[in-house]
Amino acid sequence: MVEKWNITVKFYRQKQGEKPHDQEIKMDVNPDENVIDLVERAWALHDRTLVFAHACHHSTCGACGMRVNEREKLACITPVRSVVANGGTLKVAPLRNFPVISDLVVDMGELYRRMDLVGHQPVDSDREEAIQPEFRPAGPAEPNEDFMRLSDCIECGLCMSACPVFSSTPDYLGPAVLAGAHQAGLEKNPLLFKLIDSATGVWRCHSAFECTAVCPSNVDPGWRIMELRRKVIGDRVKTLFNPRKPAEVGK
Amino acid sequence: MNTQSNFVVRAFRWFDPRGRSLSGWGFMIHRLTALGLTFYLFLHLIVLGQLAQGPDAYDNFLKSTESPLYKIGELSVVAAVFLHGLNGVRIVMTSFGIAVPRQREIFIGAMVIGLVAIVIFGIRMFIG
Amino acid sequence: MIETGSTPKQGETTILWLIKIVTGLILLILATIHLIMNHYIGSLGGLQTYSDVVRYYKTWYIPAMEAVFLVTVLTHSLIGLRGIILDLRPGEAMLKFINWAFIVLGMGFGIYGLWLLIIIAGR
Ligand code: SF4
Ligand code: FES
Repeated sequence: MVEKWNITVKFYRQKQGEKPHDQEIKMDVNPDENVIDLVERAWALHDRTLVFAHACHHSTCGACGMRVNEREKLACITPVRSVVANGGTLKVAPLRNFPVISDLVVDMGELYRRMDLVGHQPVDSDREEAIQPEFRPAGPAEPNEDFMRLSDCIECGLCMSACPVFSSTPDYLGPAVLAGAHQAGLEKNPLLFKLIDSATGVWRCHSAFECTAVCPSNVDPGWRIMELRRKVIGDRVKTLFNPRKPAEVGK
Repeated sequence: MNTQSNFVVRAFRWFDPRGRSLSGWGFMIHRLTALGLTFYLFLHLIVLGQLAQGPDAYDNFLKSTESPLYKIGELSVVAAVFLHGLNGVRIVMTSFGIAVPRQREIFIGAMVIGLVAIVIFGIRMFIG
Repeated sequence: MIETGSTPKQGETTILWLIKIVTGLILLILATIHLIMNHYIGSLGGLQTYSDVVRYYKTWYIPAMEAVFLVTVLTHSLIGLRGIILDLRPGEAMLKFINWAFIVLGMGFGIYGLWLLIIIAGR
């Protein structure tokens, strides 16, 4: 038999130029549903003016990022059971640190622009060895052939929303962008060194590791930022002993 | 959600406890103790100027600091030093790429050591 | 709207950050010694009187250690405070002012502290 819970869902509502307010809706839910299902039902059955975003429903598009009980989550893979108890109240709000367009939808244009800037690719190439055996493509592969796979970062913006530094410093590149730079590879694009070795780059990070805590996709932005720091320091040490390098890196 | 707010509003966002993970609290503790200790450092240096004025001035000043209120203040400085220093070790380690996946456990360990040290100093200060 | 992140902002460099880290590590040791000496050593726990202080500073390496402590703690705290202020995106002019103010503050308190040390060590 399907379990049935009765909970209150508090939706953050805000239209352009208006002050935000909460809208409470009592809902019968199945605890094994995901939060996105409640949002969709609230829209379908209670209030057609509720604005939210989604596409894939399986944590691939990154569109359904929101704050569930203040914490950044992909609503499509967040079971109701994991965030509320029967009879309890669930809070659904838009991501922080981005301007609200309407209700649960924020404008992440700046994030996408910056991801472009650092050359983050939505698809990655990987050696066959790097792919876990059960996910390796079937059939005879060319020796040393690269396989294409979706990049880990789905540009959902959860990390940017959770980052306490980005909350006060909008021009800090932010965890997703730095992780994107790391993934794009400093070696391939020396210009990136200049971009990330700056007051808005890796040195702005103050090790809160909120990005890593909320990232739904194993990107581990916190770790990547630290790796970037290591690379920058390594590069600095090298240039100390080999003054020809800065010209290559600088321009 | 307005990113254009003035700097006071933005500074308060660092300490917004909503939706924070453990290491996010680490950031808050680090920043709060940093601000407190910097303030105390300059206060401390100014107050120590009393030393230059000779034994009477300094000893009179020390007498005035024997109230429990001062002692609580003193203990909070000691506490801030321990928390900031121990958390600092974690930040240094992770910044060089050491033990990044274990940073959460290191944070817990650092805070436990810090609390033990604070208790020891507290006992010493208040009980003798 | 969010500001553009396309141009790298100067103002925080590897070298400043490294200094903060290195001084931080030194402070780890010196601050612990400083705390223990002031609150733990002596019959009543710490330096309780003016004469305690003067006696303590008679040993030659104590003032030397405290001098290093003074310089590192000033450096560490001012670079750190500047980093916090950088989080708030000060304008170019403001940042310049802060840079100079902090240099003057650091130097001023450094000289004052060393002067105090020399006076006490000399008594
Ligand atoms: S790094 Fe993770 S949390 Fe950040 S945008 Fe990419 S997938 Fe989302
Ligand atoms: S709907 Fe695509 S990630 Fe949730």
